[in-house]
Amino acid sequence: MIRMPANGIQYKPIKASVEKVIDESPLIKSFVLIPEQDFSFKTGEFIELTINGTGEAPFTPSSSPLEKKKIEVTVMKAGYVTEKIHALKKGDVVGIRGPFGRGYPVEKFYGKQVVILGGGCGFAPIRSLLYNLIAEKEKFEKVILCYGSKTPEDCIYKPFIDELRQIEKFEVYRSVDKADESWKERQGVVTVLLDDIDVTINKSVAIVCGPPIMMKYGTLKLLEMGYPETDIYLSMEKNMSCGLGKCGHCMMGKFYVCKDGPVFTYDEIKELPDIWL
Amino acid sequence: MKNTFQISILDWHTFLLGLSKNNSVYVPVKTYDTIDYKLFTEDGLNIIYNVAKPVTPLKAFFLPPKENVVIEKKAYNKNIIIGIPACDLKALEILDEIYLDETWLDLRYKENRERAVLIGTDCFETAENCHCTSYGIEPYPVNHADASLILLNDSILLTIHSPKGEELFSTITHDFPVKEVQESNLHFAEEKRKQVKKELVEKNRLLPDYAKTGSLIKNSGEDLWEKHSRTCVSCGACAVACPTCTCFLLIERPDFEKIRQVDACQYPGFERIAAGEDPLRRKYIRFRNRYLCKYVWKPEDFKSVACTGCGRCIDSCIGKISKNEIFIEMAESS
Repeated sequence: MIRMPANGIQYKPIKASVEKVIDESPLIKSFVLIPEQDFSFKTGEFIELTINGTGEAPFTPSSSPLEKKKIEVTVMKAGYVTEKIHALKKGDVVGIRGPFGRGYPVEKFYGKQVVILGGGCGFAPIRSLLYNLIAEKEKFEKVILCYGSKTPEDCIYKPFIDELRQIEKFEVYRSVDKADESWKERQGVVTVLLDDIDVTINKSVAIVCGPPIMMKYGTLKLLEMGYPETDIYLSMEKNMSCGLGKCGHCMMGKFYVCKDGPVFTYDEIKELPDIWL
Repeated sequence: MKNTFQISILDWHTFLLGLSKNNSVYVPVKTYDTIDYKLFTEDGLNIIYNVAKPVTPLKAFFLPPKENVVIEKKAYNKNIIIGIPACDLKALEILDEIYLDETWLDLRYKENRERAVLIGTDCFETAENCHCTSYGIEPYPVNHADASLILLNDSILLTIHSPKGEELFSTITHDFPVKEVQESNLHFAEEKRKQVKKELVEKNRLLPDYAKTGSLIKNSGEDLWEKHSRTCVSCGACAVACPTCTCFLLIERPDFEKIRQVDACQYPGFERIAAGEDPLRRKYIRFRNRYLCKYVWKPEDFKSVACTGCGRCIDSCIGKISKNEIFIEMAESS
């Protein structure tokens, strides 16, 4: 199978119109996009979002992989392209290429207690994964989400969190680095939440997605808890550009993160230099 | 049609002129001290035969320095490339592995590759930094060329290797007085090959076995890379001149078009992500990265080492860095 967008031109995006812009936090917005043709992806795979004439940036959709007519991306304002994305309004047209890469091997999580550790905008791929897990919830023993952000106002997907808390088998734990009076949950870096959860390690897999520093300490904590290296799934953030394993910007040792990842087990990448940078 | 024959140089140039009416014919031309491909025209260029190596690596025909990869091209002419050294032909192995991979096929590369007819040459003279034999490569075309040629005594000795080559030269025996290759010419060419190979082996005898270079690089200390990268100015010339370096940058243009432009891991910010993290943040790490990529990671992922011993990275370095000197130092201290 040749991996390319449905229109057969690898570097030409399909167009998508912005249906809705959601303010998630002061720095993070979500964009609901309607592609000009049906667009499907597996959870954890990523797309390149194109701003016409400006640039492209890679995002893992935050929407359900079961939805073909709409796709949602959650974007933190961090650089040149994301600043232009944040300026998008309803009706604007963007481009999307993909899907690219290797997503979460959900079938490997069947029968397990799934522990998900997320930080900041790293919640985006996790929400897509959670939609997938909710749709197949009878296949998992339980799903524990541990999510951390800097402050209460930086917590994203608040309505989704409320819904998730109502779903059987799903547990939600949250922490913030800096709390205010309104905050009733944990304070501290996200890894403190791992002390609160009830999990049987040998019946569990762990998934980590967030900023590199959080991925590093999250992984170290999970290893300390006794998780095997093969059961820790990391969604790596690199400078994916072409999406086809060619341009080299996302190389991590011998891997092209865009085609071999972005999801890796810790075991696969632990020997490589500077994976947390 | 016989596979090997000879044709006078005058007739050969007349033949090329005919070819150039409907095709782009590139020939190696010497200007001052530089050899590079030029488009064959009626002007009578100073075509140079039997020598290594054009400054432009062969990859530039398939991955041009800048190319719009979105707009569909009009009908292509053939690109007939004459005088390709064996090191560049060998480089096609890794380029094809990356760009013609069945799952991750690059359509534009495929088109560019298919429109090219490759005519290799023996290297009767070698350049200062040539070291193909250290990578198990003979200094004459063995694989991947559609045809190959040598200039001897005012005659071109032409050998056809592929159906594409046969098609290109299908009329030559009819239109021109071609002859069987003289035994003395064949003998001379054979002796020349042995002599050039011997020269290359002798001048590069201190280089470590290329198959072991990867482990030398992997086990080398940071000090070595700090020391050797001091004069590096991150210009990326090594990567641009390299026949196997193929990283590129995608640049957006209006109407969702994209320009693919040659890029290099030697440039600051090559791997930087939006949040600011950059695994290649320091110069010596970028410098080392290129060798790790070529000698450690590419051989893990693909069949070949991503170096063919052409020596262009040494020729082009304004910091006067020689990878061969680094490898010899590594081998001596290991």
